[in-house]
Amino acid sequence: MVVKKKKKIGSPIIIAENVTKSFGNFQALKGITANILEKEVVVVLGPSGSGKSTFIRTINRLEPHDSGKIVVDGVEINDDVKNLQIVRSNVGMVFQQFNLFPHLSVLRNVTLAPQKVKSLSRDDANDIAMSILNRVGIPEQADKFPSQLSGGQQQRVAIARALAMQPKIMLFDEPTSALDPEMIKEVLEVMTELAESGMTMICVTHEMGFARSVADRFLFFDEGLIVEEGTPEHFFKNPKEDRTKLFLSQIL
Amino acid sequence: MMNSPKLNFKDVKDWIMSSFFSSKLNSVLTVFSSLLLIYVISSLFGFLSSAEWEVVRINRRLLLLGRLPLEDTWRAWPILWVVCIILFSSIGAWGAPSKWELLLMSLAFILPTLIFFTMPHIWHVVVTFLICSISYLISRYFIKKSSYLVQAKKVLIVMWILILPLTFLILRVGGGPPPTLWGGFLLNILLASVAIVAGFPLGILLAVGRATKLPAIKTVCTIYIETIRGAPLVAWLLLAWFVLPKFLPNLFGLNEVSVVIRAMIVLSFFASAYIAEVIRGGLQSIPKGQLEAADALNLNYTSKLIVIILPQAIRVVIPAIVSTFIGMFKDTSLVFILALTDLLQVGRLIPEQDPKFFGRQIEALLVVASLFWIVSVSLSHVSSKLEKNLGIGTR
Repeated sequence: MVVKKKKKIGSPIIIAENVTKSFGNFQALKGITANILEKEVVVVLGPSGSGKSTFIRTINRLEPHDSGKIVVDGVEINDDVKNLQIVRSNVGMVFQQFNLFPHLSVLRNVTLAPQKVKSLSRDDANDIAMSILNRVGIPEQADKFPSQLSGGQQQRVAIARALAMQPKIMLFDEPTSALDPEMIKEVLEVMTELAESGMTMICVTHEMGFARSVADRFLFFDEGLIVEEGTPEHFFKNPKEDRTKLFLSQIL
Repeated sequence: MMNSPKLNFKDVKDWIMSSFFSSKLNSVLTVFSSLLLIYVISSLFGFLSSAEWEVVRINRRLLLLGRLPLEDTWRAWPILWVVCIILFSSIGAWGAPSKWELLLMSLAFILPTLIFFTMPHIWHVVVTFLICSISYLISRYFIKKSSYLVQAKKVLIVMWILILPLTFLILRVGGGPPPTLWGGFLLNILLASVAIVAGFPLGILLAVGRATKLPAIKTVCTIYIETIRGAPLVAWLLLAWFVLPKFLPNLFGLNEVSVVIRAMIVLSFFASAYIAEVIRGGLQSIPKGQLEAADALNLNYTSKLIVIILPQAIRVVIPAIVSTFIGMFKDTSLVFILALTDLLQVGRLIPEQDPKFFGRQIEALLVVASLFWIVSVSLSHVSSKLEKNLGIGTR
């Protein structure tokens, strides 16, 4: 039985109402309504093509949503560029393919945005970067280039890069799906520590062990809709919907 | 068989039989290619034994400088020396030439010396060689090891930027010859340098402009690129000469502007269109994830472009860009259409017009080709060194 640290979960920080998104003829999101609370760790599950990645990408407008309303920390996401900048400064994202900048060193990858967007001096940015690299466990790799690192290390750099902007919310789009099994653990450890420190996180993942021990709530997506949501206990012990039961039987 | 200390006849015979005559087809090919090789080599020897290099030796000034007046010929040396200092200091500071490459560079020195210079100029050649060696040695063994390396590199970059203006200054200072009289190898190098230096940044702007979503900028850039690519360079040069004066009002003395300047302008625009397309290919090769990561970090458009996109795009297409540069350098020969005497024209016309050298086309053109070849090969070599330095293909 895992004992979770007690953290104070706050009020809704992301409000999504009836969000739809289509790609041409294919409707990826058919009307998603969800509230994410402050300091909450939400795990998004579902079969492939169910709209999980599309949904979290609408939160920082990497995919513009077609209709519905999304409000992040009081700012609505629409065509207003200023709003978008505020939202993106509050939301950090970690990708499945890491998306590190290959021509820049690890340190530069992490200090780039703080220097360019927050106009920090080089020394301040370096200090913040080194402390975060310490936190994710790879301070000695600072001067190397991404291609010289293992997958797990690269993903940890990606997490550090997102954290350097001090976001309020972190989005994880299948962060360990591209990693070899030996390296998944080191990334999950970082994410666990992050969750316990009180970061609001939305994770799309297939790592059930991690999800079970860290998540406060599960959202189960299927064919563009949230089919079921609930706490881990509810989810694994008493799933209500048949589709949920089918999915769980396939992955557990 | 190869390790035996004595190579006896039987072993050699076996090797020849198996390598060259193993099957009927192989035997036929061996005989055929041997005959071809013998023919080519004997022709080469025949030519070399009867070659008279006087045409090149006597006309070296024409070949290298064109119709630059005699009293202004001295200007070529300071230009050469400045370029050598900057070039060899850069090689010492940035490159790490192997002994083999140093040997090749020295060889490249010996050949022009043999062909070009007799007693009066031998001292100039010696000075040039000394300048090159000393710049390289100082740069490699003093500056590179000292703590001033970063500042020294910055100084070198500034000097590279100043080379072209400095060259023009040296050519014109104190009542120097007007551009129309510049010719020979000097003209080709100057035209190519201006075309590359002006065309490259313009090409980057065009590529970015064509890739943008704003319809006005995108349309203008596309029209520009496709129009220029639609006509051969010769046509554009002729246009600059004949048609421009009719269409352009006589503002800023544009119509009187020297043919050489007009050629430089046309070459720059021409180069920019081709470079733009090469870079656009590089822009398209950037994985979408890079842009998404930059967006997620809230980087603005300019930072995204300058720090993330362009460095990756240009690195990827360095081979194609250098190809374009080499092509532009050789395309500068086309300015003959504007009655300018570039290296190729001199090499072509001397054997035709000077009775002393009738029929000496091969020697003259061979030397012209070698000069073009040396520059092109050097550019290619720099390109591959650059790729290795930037770790292209490995990261």
